[in-house]
Amino acid sequence: MVTVDTAVAPTSSTPGQEAGGLTPGRVLAWACLIAIIAITLFPFYWMLRTALSNGTTLATAGTSWLPVDFTWGAFRRVLGLATLEEAQAEGGTGSAVDFWVYLRNSVLVASLITAGQVFFGALAAYAFARMRWPGRDAVFFVLLTALMVPPIFTQLPNFLLMRDLGLINTYAALVLPFFFMTPFAVFFLRQFFLGISREIEEAARLDGAGHVRTFFQLIVPMSWGPITTLALLQYVQAWNEYFWPLLVGSERSVRTLTVALGVFRSQTPQGSLDWPGLMAATLIAALPVLLLFIAFGRKIVDSIGFSGIK
Amino acid sequence: MRRLTVIATAVLVALLPACTVERPPAESGGWDDTGEVTYWMWDANQLPAYQQCATDFEASNPDIDIAIEQVGWDYYWGRMLTSFVANSAPDVFVNHTSKYGDYTSRGLIEPLDELIARDGPDLSQFVEGTGDLWVGDDGKRYGLPKDFDAVGLFYNATMAQDAGITPEQMQNLTWNPQDGGTYEDVLARLSVDVNGVRGDEPGFDPRNVATYGLGITYPPGGGSGQTQWSFLTATLGWSHTEKPLWGTRFNYDDPRFQDTIAWWRSLIDKGYMPPVEQAVGNEPSQLMQAGRVALVTEGSWNISTFAKLGGIELATAPTPIGPRGFRAAMTNSLADSIAAGSPNKGAAWKWVRYLASPECQSVVAQGGVVVPAVASVVPVAEAAIGAQGLDITPFTRHLREGTAFPFPAAHHAADVDSIMEAATERVMGGSADVSSLTAANEEVNALFTQG
Repeated sequence: MVTVDTAVAPTSSTPGQEAGGLTPGRVLAWACLIAIIAITLFPFYWMLRTALSNGTTLATAGTSWLPVDFTWGAFRRVLGLATLEEAQAEGGTGSAVDFWVYLRNSVLVASLITAGQVFFGALAAYAFARMRWPGRDAVFFVLLTALMVPPIFTQLPNFLLMRDLGLINTYAALVLPFFFMTPFAVFFLRQFFLGISREIEEAARLDGAGHVRTFFQLIVPMSWGPITTLALLQYVQAWNEYFWPLLVGSERSVRTLTVALGVFRSQTPQGSLDWPGLMAATLIAALPVLLLFIAFGRKIVDSIGFSGIK
Repeated sequence: MRRLTVIATAVLVALLPACTVERPPAESGGWDDTGEVTYWMWDANQLPAYQQCATDFEASNPDIDIAIEQVGWDYYWGRMLTSFVANSAPDVFVNHTSKYGDYTSRGLIEPLDELIARDGPDLSQFVEGTGDLWVGDDGKRYGLPKDFDAVGLFYNATMAQDAGITPEQMQNLTWNPQDGGTYEDVLARLSVDVNGVRGDEPGFDPRNVATYGLGITYPPGGGSGQTQWSFLTATLGWSHTEKPLWGTRFNYDDPRFQDTIAWWRSLIDKGYMPPVEQAVGNEPSQLMQAGRVALVTEGSWNISTFAKLGGIELATAPTPIGPRGFRAAMTNSLADSIAAGSPNKGAAWKWVRYLASPECQSVVAQGGVVVPAVASVVPVAEAAIGAQGLDITPFTRHLREGTAFPFPAAHHAADVDSIMEAATERVMGGSADVSSLTAANEEVNALFTQG
């Protein structure tokens, strides 16, 4: 039987960390850290507290730290589990959130956009980083210039294009303007691809690999970290995209969660809106992205550290 | 690279047929009387009643399906605009008096005169005046009225009782722009500062108020001031335009209008009304429930919202009587309109007729949210809404007593609203004098002279 000696000596002997390490500086640092975390998380707590309150009495205790007249009703309404009578009894309206339909739409749209952007962005980045062709730098300059154009300028032409293509209120319209690439994706991956040693590539070339094989079998596996980071960033961005889906995908069948929550927020003019329902829906809508971060967060930190992006 | 070229070519070829599809012109439409009729509305509170109407309608019209979509007010008109541009507008939609002029001038909605002459309904079945709102300045009728509304006061009955104000007093308030009359007395009495001192008592601190007498909404009134100030200005004989409907000259430069706004603004300085920024993001009903305000002026369409508020006892009262001896309230009627580009206007027309029928309107009346425009079912609504605990007669009395005046339908309504929203907000926010509304009026009137 192997025994393990648990009496490990302190690995650090810097003065500040001895004797419990409770120096005023550390206390202050911890206090600041805790304060920042509390400030960051407070809106989520307040959303949860509101989501668990009863809409008909919520405003009677506007400053209460605890849910007012605790109920799960808002979550039941949002998930379509409550009857109309139950919903109205707790401050809901006749309006329902078709949560699962909107969730499906959001997942589908964000996934398609992410897949397209990462794939085509990586191809373009490879062309800009690893291939030599006439006018490359000029084209890259133009591409970077496109980064400076505020997206709002392209919304109307894009909208008219989608209308003329007959694609309004289809998934294609939601996805197409973002699908092929964005300058950011190309720039992000190009910077990383530039850092890959040319010798490895030349070795592959000597072994008879063409560009396609080099890209898929050498560059992509070596860049998995940045590609995942980019995918996650683009997924979150696509998930949160609001204005474009509102313009071209407002019909219920293709409506995304962000648009649905916006529509739900606005009810009768000057009427009472269903705050608990809205907060419950928002919390649930934020969950998928939160789960993605939990799953891939470490990878992002690693890749950012690795690629030297600050 | 070759593979990429192949992929790119494939995508382009796939898109090509879509590029060559010719869009049907918006004004074409079609007169099919079967298929799916899309119907948009904004009021979520009324959705269940109209859903029931749709179910009943589909049972007697098996060839027609009704797809109701509820889109909140803030998004409704923006989305309507993009839908018209994209040729994906709903077949039938709930229309508003302030908006439909912009649609008629562009030929986007269907005139109904010939259809009404052929199939009915008899227009005399509607509450007087509601149908007239839907005759455009070209003399054509663009909608069948579905409901009507008026403005009144909601007040916290417990607070009023504590302040020694009787319900009888509340039913007979008077107002004038000089000293505010008994209306201002009540607002002062209902205002309580953090030390418990009332607004009409010495030592009242207008900067630290716990409960304001009167609530304010954001934005503060826009061009119509429907629930904010129009019931006051009308008691001075002032009207928005030179004629009730389709006027082209606005009167925001009139001293009667500006005196009213000046008095209204003074309530903020006196501590009887919160600063306008406190209204941003807060609904009047929730401010009342939270005890922040004791009285609000609101539309009858929100009665059920107020009636449902828990933990608070509310009552209603009519708008105050002005210096000329009468009270007033703006009334408005929504209507259902048919999009000119609808591919199945036959079915859409059947649905619109059903929406305006006593059968559907009885269902809506029992929903207890709004008062239908079909005169015969008005008592049903009064009873249903009254059963929720709030008296609706302070609102409906204006129609019986002839003290209601119509919402000022006009062209360029969106522009008028945006100019006046900014102008009144500056005045109410304290950054501009009330006389600045004269310049705003010139800007508004220029909309009509510039075409």
